[in-house]
Amino acid sequence: MIEVGRICVKIAGRDAGRKCVVVDILDDNFVLIDGSTRRRKCNFRHLEPTAEVIKIKKGASHEEVAKEFEKLGLPVWNTKPKPSSERPRKQRGKRKKAGQEGSGKDEKKKGKKEPAVKAEASKDSGKEEKAESQSQPPEQEGQSSEEQQDGSPQ
Amino acid sequence: MTSEKSRSKRIVARKTPGGRVSVRRVARKPEAAKCAECGKPLKGVPRELPSKMRNLPKTAKRPERPFGGYLCSSCMRKLMVKKARE
Ligand SMILES: [Zn+2]
Repeated sequence: MIEVGRICVKIAGRDAGRKCVVVDILDDNFVLIDGSTRRRKCNFRHLEPTAEVIKIKKGASHEEVAKEFEKLGLPVWNTKPKPSSERPRKQRGKRKKAGQEGSGKDEKKKGKKEPAVKAEASKDSGKEEKAESQSQPPEQEGQSSEEQQDGSPQ
Repeated sequence: MTSEKSRSKRIVARKTPGGRVSVRRVARKPEAAKCAECGKPLKGVPRELPSKMRNLPKTAKRPERPFGGYLCSSCMRKLMVKKARE
């Protein structure tokens, strides 16, 4: 009953009630699923097979599964997390410097330099200055690109 | 203030730092949450006073699954199988 391409309904856990497709059979108990659920390993006892079977290759990528699911008109769970937005921090007039120092400590812990820059931009609440802040750190290319991704949907 | 002899509170014996055993009156906890289908006590739902439940995060108050905190896992699974076979 369980085979590659079989559409199933997940019946246990956080994704219960969502449809998925079997992408790979890992061993006697476990299969790899993808679709409206997260792409993950799953015990097939946590799946209820339906009559539908779609044509996909064994070990198909998420994009291939997404295409097939769009044909069927089913929603697709994209496992990429949402772009993290800046956490609003309370700004107090007198303790502004102290707040900056505090945020600096956080940076050291997390190893990220963007939040402080963003925070400064948000304090001034100017789009132009935000753009400037993006252009300022050219050393960290990966992180700056992330920031641009963050900025684009907003 | 309510009377110290009030039946609405539970009696608890506590040892004081001085070695004396004193009697305390503690608020009774509410009944454990039960499955709406089978009546089994639900797991993952803390048995706390409403004042304490209010300050807990949402994820600490019920399991993160459909019907979490309302149906037990086995009843939810039966429901999902039923829905899938329709
Ligand atoms: Zn139940």
